[in-house]
Amino acid sequence: MPTLGTYKLQVQEKLLQVARLVNKCFKTQMPNIKLQSSDGETFEVDVEIAKCSVTIKTMLEDLGMDDEEEEVVPLPNVNSAILRKVIQWATYHKDDPPPPEDDENKEKRTDDISSWDADFLKVDQGTLFELILAANYLDIKGLLDVTCKTVANMIKGKAPEEIRKTFNIKNDFTASEEEQVRKENEWCEEK
Amino acid sequence: MPFISKDWRSPGEAWVKTQEGWEKKKVLEHCKALKDSSDNLEESLNTETAIQPHCHITIKSTKEIAGFNELDEAVKRLDFRSAVRDVRRFNYICALLDLLIGQQMTALSGCAQKVLLAMLEEVARHATASQHNPRGFRQLLNNLRALRAAERSACWGGPLGSQMLWHQHTAKIEKILNMATQMQIKEPHPDTYPKLLHLPEECIREIILRLSDHRDLTSSAQSCEQMASIVGEQRVWRELTKFHFTPQQIDLVLPKDNEKIDWKDIYHSLKKTFGINEDRQYAEMLSLCRYCRCLFWRSLGHPCIADQCPEFRARLQEAGGITPP
Repeated sequence: MPTLGTYKLQVQEKLLQVARLVNKCFKTQMPNIKLQSSDGETFEVDVEIAKCSVTIKTMLEDLGMDDEEEEVVPLPNVNSAILRKVIQWATYHKDDPPPPEDDENKEKRTDDISSWDADFLKVDQGTLFELILAANYLDIKGLLDVTCKTVANMIKGKAPEEIRKTFNIKNDFTASEEEQVRKENEWCEEK
Repeated sequence: MPFISKDWRSPGEAWVKTQEGWEKKKVLEHCKALKDSSDNLEESLNTETAIQPHCHITIKSTKEIAGFNELDEAVKRLDFRSAVRDVRRFNYICALLDLLIGQQMTALSGCAQKVLLAMLEEVARHATASQHNPRGFRQLLNNLRALRAAERSACWGGPLGSQMLWHQHTAKIEKILNMATQMQIKEPHPDTYPKLLHLPEECIREIILRLSDHRDLTSSAQSCEQMASIVGEQRVWRELTKFHFTPQQIDLVLPKDNEKIDWKDIYHSLKKTFGINEDRQYAEMLSLCRYCRCLFWRSLGHPCIADQCPEFRARLQEAGGITPP
């Protein structure tokens, strides 16, 4: 004959189980959101993934679009090829811990790129710069950081002429200006 | 069941010749299996089970444990070859090679020299292909040229030690220098859009803010006017200074009265006084655990087994400083 005490315990256990199940259901049924690129293609992504973009996050909060209605977020500054890449990046990094706020030192290191990101960013220069633009527009700090580091890495260790060549930059200094800039820097080196 | 021959000895291991020397067949097969599975984008799962590259340093040799603390062994065990291709470790490896080839090369064993030159070849191959950090690479080449010249004029017109070995070395050095001369900066297709200068100024600034070497800043300033104007901003130099020096150090040179602060000057004077901290320059470095005397790559984590034991962890914590990541 079960006592009242054990009976109570059993009920509690059952309740806990139910609570766990309900939680699980909520977790698996993550709401999706539709993003539309500039060329009209729509992408369905997890809201949590889309929210790594501060722009989209504030948009959702301000407009209160968390409701069940199927809303499409237009992103007129991003084309489908780039948006696909951005979503790919965000999906991979969705479980990343938030970056420490006070650690300024981490940002400066050009070669501090994880191997997945390095692989992900093995793209042509046009795509790389478009990713920077998209990250800047969507306000995705992590992506902006890693793309900028990749470009900074391309600058690292190069002479001015080599930098110009790498990025197809035209030398817009006059000879005398160039001389002046060079001298100024030499003076710094010696000091 | 292993095959045991009549005299109770097995026929031994099957060995395979690889790029890096002889290796047991079963080891190779194991490595290959690991590599294949990691290709399936399950890296995170597999790296945990695979033994990461590390090097144990045996200080006291006993009958059971013979210590080999040779450089070539360490280079092999720490997987330096593939490290060359890792963007985080490339600069560190360049610096290490620079140090070894520039100062120590002739004092090293023939085997170590061979390994170093092989590594340098790998660096050259990678540097020419990716055009990554040509300054570091050029520095290495200068060292190499100096080494070659020094050896030609050493001790009655020839290097000490094995003639054969040195012949091999010169051939390899020649090959590396050749590779370097063929290095050319790849230009992007002229029609690619957007280009660097098409980016809004704040994006270019973000890129420039990520340069950690003042030489890179000055050379980008010299490339064109727009870059020059961004590099000339105080913020760029202020953040560079804050990255390399502690607030205490900066306080020492900051002007006391309300003078206008020129962060570029402050950076250079701090650099002259304190020098650039090496720790901040490399994203990845080798670390040494003093407890288990093990060299390992910091980002790959601490490999020793003792690490799993909570008691040992506590002791490490007490000792401070060398906590495994």
